[in-house]
Amino acid sequence: MTINDIPPGVVLLVAAVLMAVLPARGRWFVALAAPVLALADAWVAINDAWAADAAGVARYVSTWQFLGMTLRPVTVHAPTAVFATIFCLMTGVGGLYALHHNRRFELSAALVYAGGALVCVFAGDLITLFVGWEIMTLGSTTILWCARTEGASRAGLRYFALHALGGVLLLAGIALHAGQLNAAGHADPLAFAHFAEMIEGWTSFGWHNAGLWLMLIGMLVNAGAPPFSAWIGDAYPEATESGTVFLSAFTTKTAVFTLMVGFAGVELLIYLGLWMAIYGIIYAILENDMRRILAYSIVNQVGFMLVGVGVGTKLAIDGAAAHAFAHIIYKALLMMSAGSVLHATGRRKCTQLGGLYRTMPVTMWCGIIGALAISSFPLTSGFTTKSMILSGITEQADVMARIGKPHDLMIAAWFILEAASAGVFLHAGIKFPWFVFFQKDSGLRPADPPWNMQTAMVIFAGLCLLLGMFPGPLYAILPYKAEAASYAGVVYNYEYLLSMFGLLLFSGLAFFVLLPMLKRKEMITLDTDWLYRRFFPTVWREVIVPILRGLDHAQKTVLEKLPGRPMGEPRSPLARLGTEWAVSVPVFVVTLMLVIYLVVYFVVLPTA
Amino acid sequence: MKLSDPRTIKWIWAGGLLVLAVILGLDFTVHHHAHFPRDGISIDTLPEFFPFYGFLSCFLMVVVAKALATALQRKDTYYDDQ
Repeated sequence: MTINDIPPGVVLLVAAVLMAVLPARGRWFVALAAPVLALADAWVAINDAWAADAAGVARYVSTWQFLGMTLRPVTVHAPTAVFATIFCLMTGVGGLYALHHNRRFELSAALVYAGGALVCVFAGDLITLFVGWEIMTLGSTTILWCARTEGASRAGLRYFALHALGGVLLLAGIALHAGQLNAAGHADPLAFAHFAEMIEGWTSFGWHNAGLWLMLIGMLVNAGAPPFSAWIGDAYPEATESGTVFLSAFTTKTAVFTLMVGFAGVELLIYLGLWMAIYGIIYAILENDMRRILAYSIVNQVGFMLVGVGVGTKLAIDGAAAHAFAHIIYKALLMMSAGSVLHATGRRKCTQLGGLYRTMPVTMWCGIIGALAISSFPLTSGFTTKSMILSGITEQADVMARIGKPHDLMIAAWFILEAASAGVFLHAGIKFPWFVFFQKDSGLRPADPPWNMQTAMVIFAGLCLLLGMFPGPLYAILPYKAEAASYAGVVYNYEYLLSMFGLLLFSGLAFFVLLPMLKRKEMITLDTDWLYRRFFPTVWREVIVPILRGLDHAQKTVLEKLPGRPMGEPRSPLARLGTEWAVSVPVFVVTLMLVIYLVVYFVVLPTA
Repeated sequence: MKLSDPRTIKWIWAGGLLVLAVILGLDFTVHHHAHFPRDGISIDTLPEFFPFYGFLSCFLMVVVAKALATALQRKDTYYDDQ
């Protein structure tokens, strides 16, 4: 056994146990050392795989045998390097942000959650993937419950129920898919690889691809695709200030990773991604809770990534992976900034905030840098990554036009995503900093948060700028390095810069022109979660329960009207069945049945 | 010069509008390449396309959001009694 046999996710899972039992001083050490160790372990495997073959195919670094199944818990897929790196980085900086609150169980749960995500990223087989997937659900639900509020406990239960459903769909899909391949004599039925048979036939539905469909739907639940987008806005704002930072990073991006490995090029993802990009903006425009604004904008950003995955060319995949990397950093930064405001003021609604620029300069500047990065402003990380997805779309449209394939969807996707880019600046780039730090004076004069929270924010703000100015190191770990390297030469050009400035600054103008329409009110916007939060409970209470009551009443009435003796006294031989029995009697009956079964099976049948 | 001073706000507005004017002016100096040249789509090569498109799409999204709000918005205590 070498270091290559240790899945990097396991390093974080062990750290999670240590975190739960160590005293405070040890927890600091674990929170900061564990991600470094996991990162080192991850890169040992990645370097091994790349040394063997630099092209973007899955390399199995370690193989285990378990119950007759071949498990590959250390596998380097094309996008593994970029996701593993950002997950470890996020765990470390998120831990730094969270450390000063004395919440050992939340940090422990965060390590479990990140460990699960890392297990998924290195999963070479579907069983390992499923295990990592479920570990994530447990960890993230625990993070939510660590907020210890009524709202968080209810939201956590809804979150858990939905993700359990997604996990069951994934497992059912895996079982069906692997079972079919096994029956067909496939050499490696459990392999987690590109399910190419979905590409051409995503509109067809039949028994042959039902397993893949179930897996796809299970992954889409975690990605927040419609109609499952509501859980993001429902759950994330209910966690603690540090809990939300962790939650914003892993679930949706792990789903993007799995879609990238398994379902790249499935056209359905383009439609879903475009819907999410617009949905996120519309709902964020109407929202008042500052962290729910940011939660909706996660849906919007994951929409961009899904479009990239759906286009599925090398450049588009590179763009989606790079965007996931940049997104985790600036989204966590925005959530940290909002979390610092929550920490300092105890308030979460825009209507109760404003004017905080006076006393929270570090939080404000970090929030603004994050807001510029999410808007893909030039010189920030969003610019050097999101533009790659859009270039991937135009490039693919050109290729399809050249061979005469219809590509209206690519053209539509480009125009919609350009509009969505403008909308991001509107709903997150300006709206979040404006309503929290400027607008009216709320009279609040809170100080910046403790040093560890400030340091975490400054690190991520610095990374947003560095990746915007020097994207080279990020491009070097993308799935398809050659495409990324050639793109690096063209990302900054005068024409594109001017287009971007025009698009963004005039969407900013639109914000201030439309400000009267954007005034915040203490309102929420109904979403599909209304079905399980309001509609089904109401139907149960108002329709089904009265019907059951009526039936119960009718049954009692009928029984009373029947001729015969009143119940209670055992008079007839049959009535003995209604009395209490000792436990030994049914046990004896069951044992007798088993004996008869064995006798029939082993003695009677073979002789017959 | 304090940010809460109305005169400062006026200066910021003036500076912002100046930046917008400069962007509009510079946009005439550059030739925008078509993104879908094989399809004969040339709207994205027009000068001022991106500023116009950014403003228009934001305007439309806000209008759509407000229209949806009339049907879908509730007091934020809507779910509290469950």
